[in-house]
Amino acid sequence: MLAIAVLLALTSAQQAQSPAPDLSDPEVAHVAVTANSIDIDMAKLAQTHTTKAAVRQFAATMITDHTAVNSQAAALATKLGVTPKDNAVSQFLQTGATQARTSLEPLHGAAFDRAYMDREVAYHQAVLDAIDKLLIPTTENAELRKLLVDVRPAIATHLEHAKQLRSQLGAPARTGK
Amino acid sequence: MIIWLLLLLAGSPPSKTYTVEIRGMEFHPAVLTAAVGDTIVWINRDIVPHTATADGRTKWDTGQLTQGQEGRYVARHGGVARYVCTLHPTMHGKLVIR
Repeated sequence: MLAIAVLLALTSAQQAQSPAPDLSDPEVAHVAVTANSIDIDMAKLAQTHTTKAAVRQFAATMITDHTAVNSQAAALATKLGVTPKDNAVSQFLQTGATQARTSLEPLHGAAFDRAYMDREVAYHQAVLDAIDKLLIPTTENAELRKLLVDVRPAIATHLEHAKQLRSQLGAPARTGK
Repeated sequence: MIIWLLLLLAGSPPSKTYTVEIRGMEFHPAVLTAAVGDTIVWINRDIVPHTATADGRTKWDTGQLTQGQEGRYVARHGGVARYVCTLHPTMHGKLVIR
């Protein structure tokens, strides 16, 4: 759902013959912090719902890594005197996260693991797309752009890790929600 | 005395120190050749933490390295030592110890 929301934002921008929504740097910073915080919260949910060590380890890595990225983003925002500003893309992400959490919370055990890892694959793919097509192209400040460029390989690695782990969990495939 | 010095110099070569940079979620170089007694230093240039952890019979581990931190291992045995980042299992490296 989250991937769809971000892609919808990108698609509507393309239909308007614009390469990407024109976010200001404070809005880009807000999107970045929101995206990290969402995955931290989802990982904390996973740690209370999974019984599988590999999923718990993945969730722990998500908390560690996204916390480290948010610390860097906060330090950079302070250095640049930028106050992150809420915007439509952040709200899309937050709405998608709320819906994902609602569908994950009742699940436990293997069903939770599959749904959580499906969501992590889709989420990291959506964030990668947003970094490439929305955040980097629209960012004006060189240091903020460098932070996004530096973060990208971590998101790509998370995506590969999530795909590997999901493939070990077996069927059923995602339902399309 | 001179003979003793010559014998000392003719002994095993001085150990070296090699550096593996962790950047862009990869070990650079991914394959490093060193000798028994050499020291390998991993330095983390990434924002996120990493480890370099043996993935074989010989156990060694740098522990978590945050950005800018270093971890080291002195090669004690010859052979091929594969290692991973335990936080990011898709990251692999290899030491070839002569």
